[in-house]
Amino acid sequence: MSSTFHFGIVWEYLGYLLAGVKITVLVTTAALLFGAVVGLFVALGRMSKRRWLQWPAIAYVEIFRNTPALIQLMWAYYCLPILAGINLSAIVAATLALAVNGGAYIAEIIRGGIQAVDRGQVEAAKTLGFTHVQTLRKIVLPQAFRKMIPPFVNEMVSLLKFSSLVSVLGVADLTYQAQVVSTTTFRPIEIFTFIAVVYFVLCTALSYVARRLEIRLSVSD
Amino acid sequence: MAEVHDTMVRIEGLGKSFGALEVLRDIDVEVKRGEVVVLIGASGSGKTTLLRCVNCLEVPTRGRIWVDGEPMGIFDQGGTFRLLPERALSSRRAQIGMVFQRFNLFSHMTALRNVTLAPVMVKKMSEAEAEELGDRLLAKVGLSDKRHAYPSRLSGGQQQRVAIARALAMNPKLMLFDEPTSSLDPELVGEVLDTMKQLADEGMTMVVVTHEMSFAREVGDRILFLHQGRILEQGSPEEVFARPREERTRAFLSRVK
Repeated sequence: MSSTFHFGIVWEYLGYLLAGVKITVLVTTAALLFGAVVGLFVALGRMSKRRWLQWPAIAYVEIFRNTPALIQLMWAYYCLPILAGINLSAIVAATLALAVNGGAYIAEIIRGGIQAVDRGQVEAAKTLGFTHVQTLRKIVLPQAFRKMIPPFVNEMVSLLKFSSLVSVLGVADLTYQAQVVSTTTFRPIEIFTFIAVVYFVLCTALSYVARRLEIRLSVSD
Repeated sequence: MAEVHDTMVRIEGLGKSFGALEVLRDIDVEVKRGEVVVLIGASGSGKTTLLRCVNCLEVPTRGRIWVDGEPMGIFDQGGTFRLLPERALSSRRAQIGMVFQRFNLFSHMTALRNVTLAPVMVKKMSEAEAEELGDRLLAKVGLSDKRHAYPSRLSGGQQQRVAIARALAMNPKLMLFDEPTSSLDPELVGEVLDTMKQLADEGMTMVVVTHEMSFAREVGDRILFLHQGRILEQGSPEEVFARPREERTRAFLSRVK
């Protein structure tokens, strides 16, 4: 059995694959941004003293963390349109599902970061005459933000990898394109090895940038 | 409006409970302008809680508190104490400096920024003016060379002196000290006490919770001894330390000496 590899095939179909990279990056970025906004509100809801804000926030986090992301994707694409009577394109449904999934984790990251800020910092700000909002803006959030960076990067990396699931809905991301190229060329080894490398490079680059940021911000500790 | 009161702090019938636990009861205190009052007592006697009630970091359960003639809360007919609305409370607190046992410097800011932030944010002072003030106060506490250092690069004694400068930057009428030397290494206690003594000499009104009996004796104008949430004995340092009337006070003093 011949086991010669033709990695040249990757070069031949590079245009298709790069188009997939573009979709992957787009879907991940949109999901992250949207997820961060959702996460912020859910975190604030969860930390609120009002039950009616707290309770839905807890339910949200638990539901989305304890069901498979793939099922959430399928649900958003196949069930949501029927139940809500709206029509979502595959890419919108997929991004939405990834965003709400990420939002559940991001909410916990934000909550953890804020609660990790020493209470004494808040008390000191109060005694200087800061209002609640000033304290949050100048003291709590800047410190919490630093604590959130490492887990947030983990979440970014994991969302990037989870984004490969959108191929199941027919969204032409990197994974989907690779499947197409692989079935037309019968070269799965080269193609899938290559895209694994692409994911690896993307994720590593993200971690690298985040580590630099963390070092820059940590001069004070 | 610019009426000057001889009394800086007036506390009447103050009580504080955490659930079923009564931490303070029937507290009446008056602190005169320029007076240094030292609260002593065993741990759990309520002295820190009493201090924290003055600026409402701890919300009293009942009673009434005035600082420089201004009420620190809303006093119900039934004696219940309610917090002021946020804006009013913040502006009252801005006039009362506090120094904590664990310093609580803003860890993401330099020493200078720690001092200048509140004047800029709360008093709307210009950055340049605040920086000048900050430099002057850091010089006062002997830390001019540390203006750009972050708290993590400072010793405990230095951090506490920056914390004092930070409180002074708001030009407070009253300073509250909550065991300011209790988390310091023994060799660093002196520098903080010296700074506090200097403040007292300048006429600052101070309420101090401390275990440093020599400081209480030397700098205090009046000593309050707390026991199980009540003021059991009070008087000049001379009276309380040399001739305590209460058996409990004698027992406490013999233990800390």
